[in-house]
Amino acid sequence: MILGLDLVFRVLVFPGFTFILFLTMFCDWVERKIEARMQNRVGPSFTGPSGILQPLADFIKLLIKEDIVPSDAKKAAFRFAPILAFSVVVFAICFLPVDGVAIIPNSAFAGDLIFVMALITVANFLLFLSGWASASPYGAIGAARVLTQFLGYDIPLFLLALTPAFLAQSLTITSIAANQYLPFILLAPWAFVLFVITLQAELEKDPFDIPLAESELVGGLETEYCGGKLAFLHLTRDVQIVFGAALVVELFLGGPYGPVFFGLPAFWYSLWFVLKLLTVIVISEYLTCLFARLRIDQVLTVNWKIMLPLSVLTLILTVALATWVYPPVV
Amino acid sequence: MEADNDAGIAAISGLDLGEKIGLMYHMRTNGTIVTIRTEVPKENPKIATITDIMPGASFHEREVADLFGVVFQGHPNPARLILPEDWPENLYPLRKDAEIDDVATKCETPCAETVEAQPQGEGTLVNMIVGPQHPALLEPEKFSLKVEGEIVKDVEPRIGYVHRGIEKAAEKRTYLQDVYLVERICGICNSCHAACFVETVEKIMGVTVPPRSQYLRTIILELNRLHSHLLLLGHSGFEIGYETLFQYMWRDREPIMELTELLTGNRVISSAITIGGVRRDLKETHIPKIKTVLASLKKKMDFYKNLYENEPSIKMRTQNVGILTREDAISLSVVGPVARGSGVNMDVRKDEPYDAYGEIPFKLIAYNTGDSWARLMVRLDEIVESINIIDYAVDHLPHGSYRVRVPRIVPAGEAVNRAEAPRGELFYYVKSNGTAYPERVKVRTPTFANIPSFIKIAEGGNIADVPVSFVSLDPCFSCTDR
Repeated sequence: MILGLDLVFRVLVFPGFTFILFLTMFCDWVERKIEARMQNRVGPSFTGPSGILQPLADFIKLLIKEDIVPSDAKKAAFRFAPILAFSVVVFAICFLPVDGVAIIPNSAFAGDLIFVMALITVANFLLFLSGWASASPYGAIGAARVLTQFLGYDIPLFLLALTPAFLAQSLTITSIAANQYLPFILLAPWAFVLFVITLQAELEKDPFDIPLAESELVGGLETEYCGGKLAFLHLTRDVQIVFGAALVVELFLGGPYGPVFFGLPAFWYSLWFVLKLLTVIVISEYLTCLFARLRIDQVLTVNWKIMLPLSVLTLILTVALATWVYPPVV
Repeated sequence: MEADNDAGIAAISGLDLGEKIGLMYHMRTNGTIVTIRTEVPKENPKIATITDIMPGASFHEREVADLFGVVFQGHPNPARLILPEDWPENLYPLRKDAEIDDVATKCETPCAETVEAQPQGEGTLVNMIVGPQHPALLEPEKFSLKVEGEIVKDVEPRIGYVHRGIEKAAEKRTYLQDVYLVERICGICNSCHAACFVETVEKIMGVTVPPRSQYLRTIILELNRLHSHLLLLGHSGFEIGYETLFQYMWRDREPIMELTELLTGNRVISSAITIGGVRRDLKETHIPKIKTVLASLKKKMDFYKNLYENEPSIKMRTQNVGILTREDAISLSVVGPVARGSGVNMDVRKDEPYDAYGEIPFKLIAYNTGDSWARLMVRLDEIVESINIIDYAVDHLPHGSYRVRVPRIVPAGEAVNRAEAPRGELFYYVKSNGTAYPERVKVRTPTFANIPSFIKIAEGGNIADVPVSFVSLDPCFSCTDR
């Protein structure tokens, strides 16, 4: 019974759903603030201290707005795709160790890295579905772009995720994170750089925010959405960013592990996790501010002609050097 | 006169002559304007089109057809351009006998096909409507794109959404009131409109304004160009998804707005230029501030030039995108930075110097590649030239009066005049009948001349390139529609 309550607390409060939700909104605020600073603006500053409650206020505002479903839309897909996409991403995060162990304890299994990456693919497909179901040319083109872009970046992303797996001799995220006595960013910095760039595409951020190109497609796949469903689409996007950053933390930055000074290790691990996560988000936001948006065909060219060969090369290099540089911990 | 291969059409003005309708074809050749006059009877106003020899005349003819009811026989697309679809048939607003007071009641009756056929896709073509409301457009106009996959196959522009009848309104107001009216044609290039109109009227009156006011006008016009170019370059950053560039450019535009306010008392619509001179003198105490602001902007322009020349994602998005060849630029009679981006050396400030431009040394900027990047680079370099012009003008400001008093009544006569607005050649034709009210004011704005080239630029390109190639034309729809 005590174990059961513990599990419920872990899943629903910390480090589960509630924690992820607030972390997402906090990260959203950090992103907006950093982007604003880089662009010589002030960013959110009225709601709460330094505008920290702005993402929450935006979310609540969208929730209480009228929710309209276009009469031509495929109703079921239009309604459920955003919520399903959100749930899938949150579910994927549950496999990542936040305070030392995965959110659902003992859920880790051999190959859950592949499973989690597959979940993200499903989430992207659900987002495509939400745009496709909205019966609007902007939504349809935006959705088609999600899929096209995804064809470009998914394979390099996957190959690059295998680098830490080889280095740690494991396909389990928890053991990849735990095996980094020396963070893999120091062992294979080139793989880290490539992974972060490819992740920008996965997260649909500049220079790869093509499905959301507002100057061409109004709102892309979100065009027909409003109210609560739009709130969930936005939240999905933000959770995806948190997930992407968390994946980088687990695979390259040594996971949540770090020095424990006193008291509960779980506290320190969570702290390190959040700090590392924010570092990744700052890097990602820096890239966003640095570049113009590419065109869809340019993204495909970049991914197939540059990223894919580079990631294959990285993989070969890793396999060749892994055992020599970093003997497996048996 | 020598033959000029680069000749183009500047404008077609209609004129109500009572029993007849006068047509004036203003041709641009050898850097000046040659006007060809003809007349058609009002009862049966028909004339052959010139679009077969000058494709750039298409929009001009459609406009005259809308506003004067002249039928251009053989025009490839004689659809409405300026007036709304539900405007009554046989009511031509710029004719003197047009009764437009009760036009609202006439429109309520189904006098024309009001329901526009909802465009449907044909085969694999998808119709994508850009506008009248669209994030890429800051003002309302409609562009129907036929799209196959991500490739644009066909573009059909429809303008007129912000037609306010300013040419008609100008006939009902005095010349002095018209100065403020024409300024409101366009918020961004307002002083150019004022200057061009005022100088047309001064030509009819035979008034020469004092040299100091010519220099002051030049300074105001160049400040206008500076803020317009900075606005456009920032906007281009937004269109290619480069928000940082957008924010930076607009931040650096702000001091120019403050300078405009310092000089004229107003931030945007300056209302500083008036018939006979300018309304405010430049104070000696303002000069250091002007110098500092311009010097700091000039330093920043080096950074931006480096950025546009070397930043890979900007180059990927703008170079070899939306190419307008020199031949097309000439045949479509485009003006301003669009023409100069395609290697056409055309600048009214050089061709027919007005105000102080004849005395101030500056370079004519032209690029040869004709892509969106070239059009943006023309503006980037022109900013530096504008800064130099203002610097020179402030240093060499003549002493003396800054305005002369002129009578309210303008003697009978007519004149055409051109000015180089930030977006290109601005054309005015004013006819006076010897009263305080003009008989006819014709405005041909630069964007009106440049929009036809968008069809050429967008076709065959990518959807993602539409916003950037469009914005590289620096469209201003309030100008276009008047």
